[in-house]
Amino acid sequence: MTTTWHADPAALAAYVEGSLDDVRASSLEAHLLTCDRCREGIATSTAADAIDHVWGSIVDTIDTPHRSAVERLLLALRVPEHLARLLVATPSLRLSWLVAEALALGFAVIAANGTSGQDEELVLFLFLVVAALLPVAGVAVAFGPGIDPTYEVAAAAPMPADRLLLIRAAAVLASSVSITALAALALPDLDAIAAAWLLPALGLTAATLALGTWVRPLVAAASVALTWVLFAAAAAVSTQDRLAAFRPAGQVACLAVIAASAAVLAHRHTLSEGRIVR
Amino acid sequence: MTVRADGDDELLRAVAQGDRAALEALYRRHAPWLLARLRRRCADPGLVEEVVQDTFVAVWRGAGGYRGSGEVPAWIWGIGIRRLIDRLRKTSPVLRAAGDSLAVSAEDEVLLGVEHGDLGAALGRLSPELRSVVQATVLDGLTTREAAALLGIPQGTVKTRASRARRELREALA
Repeated sequence: MTTTWHADPAALAAYVEGSLDDVRASSLEAHLLTCDRCREGIATSTAADAIDHVWGSIVDTIDTPHRSAVERLLLALRVPEHLARLLVATPSLRLSWLVAEALALGFAVIAANGTSGQDEELVLFLFLVVAALLPVAGVAVAFGPGIDPTYEVAAAAPMPADRLLLIRAAAVLASSVSITALAALALPDLDAIAAAWLLPALGLTAATLALGTWVRPLVAAASVALTWVLFAAAAAVSTQDRLAAFRPAGQVACLAVIAASAAVLAHRHTLSEGRIVR
Repeated sequence: MTVRADGDDELLRAVAQGDRAALEALYRRHAPWLLARLRRRCADPGLVEEVVQDTFVAVWRGAGGYRGSGEVPAWIWGIGIRRLIDRLRKTSPVLRAAGDSLAVSAEDEVLLGVEHGDLGAALGRLSPELRSVVQATVLDGLTTREAAALLGIPQGTVKTRASRARRELREALA
């Protein structure tokens, strides 16, 4: 940058101090945009502590991690910051996962609205079976090596593994149950059966968590899902009623599964002999 | 404190790659004059420091968007003055009024530059409120709307003062 003149140190000091008159200050400001040497002169006249102080704030701002939409929502709902962070790291609580859940259910609802008679019952059956499985899938990918980005950190953190597991499972369950409930509202001929997935969903999730005492979540979820599909299909075939698994007898069976799973979870430590598979 | 001899463009390219040392070098080079220049436009030192902070955070995040059009200092100033305006829009009018106390009385100013015929003296003879409008719209390159926000006056007032200032300058230089 070629400049023909430079401001004298007294003028620079007066400018920094704010005592230089407006006309000369304006001229100096235009000059400063192109003159390295006078910019250095300004720097020498400026108190270093203000510059250092602001630099510290800049570093702090840059280092603050960017919060996702889900995390901001959790914080708005007054969830404590550390818990929100823990939940957001859950793969099945990411926005993409929630959107995928909503889409899957949305297609089921559209299919149900587009069919009638026998077919409608079949679509309803599929909707209920899938709706009950969604939280299981969510729990399956909520934690575990290779899936959870915070797995290594969480494994070393002074927080009981069970607590993390239950917090995340509860959050996954809550999110997928609310999405499913919304989808169920859009079903044709809305009646009590549209809510029949709720207890199975709770039962299957509880069973997955309970099985997780002995095997990895992914394996537990796969076994539970397979058992559930076979059970629902077998019930439908043997009773000539497609929705047999969702009738009162089936709901009671789900309650029994929830109770048994709760018992297992309560005694997790003794049952797994200290070898908790996460 | 790192001292780097690189030019602004190289530093900015390094910042775009996530080089924090380059950001610090750029900051050490340009924060002092930015701080001083903003202080002349806002009487609240805390607010000015926040604006400088905002500006360099924006440089950090937006360095990739710099296309080498114009000089880096002018680019930084453009970010800084607009951040200041954004902040002023959010603060209360009471705080903003404090900025007016910096202005020297009109009589003193007129007495300073009576016998000179050049542009500087003509500028100096403008009343402080006209001069601040000239400074914002011509020298700082702000739009009427931005100047209005910076000075805390309505847009219509900015326009009338700008045309009055132009007329007075023309007469003074004739």
